Amino acid sequence: MIKRFRLGLLLFVLLFSFAFLLTACSEDTTSNDNGTDTNQNENEGENEGNNEEEEEEEPADEGPQMGGTITGAMDTAPSGVFNPIFYEEAYEANILDFTHEGLVGQNDKLEFVEGLATDWEINDDQTEITLTLKDGVKWHDGEPFTAEDVVFTYQSIASPGYIEAGGVRSTYANKLVGYEAFESGETEEFEGVVAEDELTVTFKFKEPNVTILKDVGFPIIPKHVFEGIPIEEVPEHEATLDPGKVIGTGPFKFTEMLEREQYVLEKHADYWQGEPYLDKIVWRVVEQSVMLGLLEKGEIDFISDPNGVPPADYEDVAAMDHVEIIEQTDFGYQLMGFKMNHRTAADVESGTLNPDNWVENEDMGEKLVRQAMAYAVDRKTIVEKLLLGHGAVINAPIAQQFWAYDESAVTDYSFDPDKSAELLDEAGYVDEDGDGFRETPDGEEWVVNLNYPTGNKLRERVAPILAEFFEDVGIKMDLRQPKEMSAYVKELTEDSTDWDLYLLGWSLGSGDPDPSGLWTIEAGYNFSRWNNPDSDQLIADAMKAPEAFDQSYREEKYSEWQSLFSDDLPALLLFAQNKIYAHNKNLNGIDPLPYSMNNDPHLWWLSQE
Amino acid sequence: MYQYIIRRTLVFIPMLFALTVIVFTLALLAPGDAFTGKSLADPNVDPEVYERQREEAGLNDAIPVQYGRWISNVAQGDFGKSLVFNGRSVSELIEARLANTLYLGLFSLFITLVVSIPIGIYSAKHPYSLLDYGATGFGFLGLAIPNFFFGLIAIYVLAIQLDWFPAQGTLDEPGMTGIEALKSRLHHMVLPGITLGLAGTATYMRYMRSEVLDVLGSDYIRTARAKGMSDRNVLYKHTLRNALIPIITLMGFEIGMLLSGAVITEQVFNYPGLGTLFLSSVVNRDFPVVMAIAMLLGILILVGNLLADIFYSIIDPRIRYD
Repeated sequence: MIKRFRLGLLLFVLLFSFAFLLTACSEDTTSNDNGTDTNQNENEGENEGNNEEEEEEEPADEGPQMGGTITGAMDTAPSGVFNPIFYEEAYEANILDFTHEGLVGQNDKLEFVEGLATDWEINDDQTEITLTLKDGVKWHDGEPFTAEDVVFTYQSIASPGYIEAGGVRSTYANKLVGYEAFESGETEEFEGVVAEDELTVTFKFKEPNVTILKDVGFPIIPKHVFEGIPIEEVPEHEATLDPGKVIGTGPFKFTEMLEREQYVLEKHADYWQGEPYLDKIVWRVVEQSVMLGLLEKGEIDFISDPNGVPPADYEDVAAMDHVEIIEQTDFGYQLMGFKMNHRTAADVESGTLNPDNWVENEDMGEKLVRQAMAYAVDRKTIVEKLLLGHGAVINAPIAQQFWAYDESAVTDYSFDPDKSAELLDEAGYVDEDGDGFRETPDGEEWVVNLNYPTGNKLRERVAPILAEFFEDVGIKMDLRQPKEMSAYVKELTEDSTDWDLYLLGWSLGSGDPDPSGLWTIEAGYNFSRWNNPDSDQLIADAMKAPEAFDQSYREEKYSEWQSLFSDDLPALLLFAQNKIYAHNKNLNGIDPLPYSMNNDPHLWWLSQE
Repeated sequence: MYQYIIRRTLVFIPMLFALTVIVFTLALLAPGDAFTGKSLADPNVDPEVYERQREEAGLNDAIPVQYGRWISNVAQGDFGKSLVFNGRSVSELIEARLANTLYLGLFSLFITLVVSIPIGIYSAKHPYSLLDYGATGFGFLGLAIPNFFFGLIAIYVLAIQLDWFPAQGTLDEPGMTGIEALKSRLHHMVLPGITLGLAGTATYMRYMRSEVLDVLGSDYIRTARAKGMSDRNVLYKHTLRNALIPIITLMGFEIGMLLSGAVITEQVFNYPGLGTLFLSSVVNRDFPVVMAIAMLLGILILVGNLLADIFYSIIDPRIRYD
């Protein structure tokens, strides 16, 4: 009897609680519009439905309107570290681009323009730069912005324990005077950045600095908020993590969040470039496959960085009457690298990068073979069929948007299987036993392996296509199983293996075209283990003071370097994909920079009735 | 009974310990670590930086050393910091998602039970009726449709076309509180709840049907009928209790499964729960998070099984533990 009673009670409690849940969920009418109740645009719902007609009628000269909320979509949630000195992902940049600013910014030609600094003076040997800061700039909490904030920001990046605490931006500080002494904790005084007065700050570099403006452009964090917090606690501090506590000088404040779902930016009315038109910008995290549906329905207003609209969806978005598409070249490329050298197991074990110990990878070390393989690939068709035309074939590893990119300097490896075969014959790789595949010059069987990671769908699809192109010219291929990224990168880095070809993508910075981080001999990311002293010389020359202060001199050197790269060919660049942004036509004032759509959001405005 | 529970709980401890050793070793044996995954994101970052962070995180130490450090921290209630979420604390990361996952799991379990048990019973009482065929058809369909596909169809039709339910997330907007938040939360739970519960519903329904049919044909039911017991009483007092036993076994496993098996549903509906966190942590080699979730799931599965055992004895008085 007692047992039965217990069961009854249990069922009763269960049923009761769920009945309550059920009734509560039957009558919810929220339609998830863009949170309009507090804003003036109550009729935004209709607005989106029929704005295409209105768009035509509306005279273009009608000025920007105040107010309104827009919603952007990104496919992955930010990790949640909203602090310029500690963030690592493009998803967090989507918040920080609106909330924080640097002393200088970049314009659409990638020239450095004024940001929080109105003016600057660089000394003749480019070791010092003195910047005058904008007067009257207020932090989101109302405090004035001063030179002390700038000093504090760079000190934080240079401080002992910054890297151990998870910071990765030390490149911005490590060229400054006194970095080593300060970073190792020898001294409390950092001489590299000095506040001359309230609004003047001087950066002192150890050596003449060719990219001086890039190095002073780091987003500034407020001293009055972070002062006194040990650097290792900053990543976990509320001023790094919590909406309302994250303080910047940007046009929007980060005020609310529903973690991993919604991130709300509200306008900073005291913004120094004028009050933003929009009241709010909401970022929603939306599954890639659902994004288009919501865009069509008007629930989201724009899709931008970092991934934009996939090429395969381009036509669907273009067919939406109320949506405008912006397509521009991206700052990155996909490549197929040749493992020209391998490291020894001992070097891998000790983490040494010493070209003297490298072991040449027999066939991939042969320039003619690399060139032959380049001619064997029809990259144009890959761009047309796989990227549906939304990309470009490039032959030099410098972003096309840079002044330094020189298409005319490079060897053009357009699809030419005959030439490919010719080069292979010349190199001695001939099919002697008549099995349809070429043997090595020593008459041994020749098999080339191709390794690639999972993650990027387009890249995954390219791998088997490449293998087919190579088999067509008689190269026997071993197309390896794709590996998951972490495992793949480990093998790629610790390259005492038998790898021949590898696929990889790079997303380049917009600050400067200098390729030294990826392609110099001892660069960790030089996965091809390309050992060409001429290349290192050219890269170094292009950064050498004082000649390199003259941009045309650098242009010349980079042109030579690109020519060398494409001739020696440590990697075949497969394609550079386009960025495809989409936004609702009632959203005006969008003016993307070559590297981001998040530009001047204080000028974005919403047409309203 | 209580003795039994205590004994079972004590047995948990070595099992959990073994679980942590195995998962820890496997997690660290996987090629690459949290920093290899990160290192390609930005070519402007010197690889040396990651090497220093790796050293700081102790990833260069031998596995037993790392395990010792980890287990002694856990013993003090510290699950450490995530390696991927830039130093955020593991317990905080899990806490936020555990609630979401629990709500969704219980909600879908509720839908599953409320739908499957009555239909199962009905099907068994009226075998080969129209509804029985319908239910069988639905059962096959429910098992055959992949979760993500059903989820996408549900989003497309019910959320985007008809606008009845929200398509993504757990709440309308940040900062909602009280009854309004509860309503919004439930509204957001309907589609993922149904999607998640679909396969379970189909399974439970089929189990229920065959079990009830089985029991209805047994001797003691005939005896009960012969004594003149009413149909209702026969069904609820004798048949149902015996037929529920396999369902309870299933549910015992399900408690763990509901938390870990919702990865795809969570992803399609952008419903931030433990499943997606677990998956992304495994992929990104964020082993402090992986370990914490693995332990949590282990505990839940063990507790689920214990609960199932206890329920047996409640439902079937013949089952006794001493």
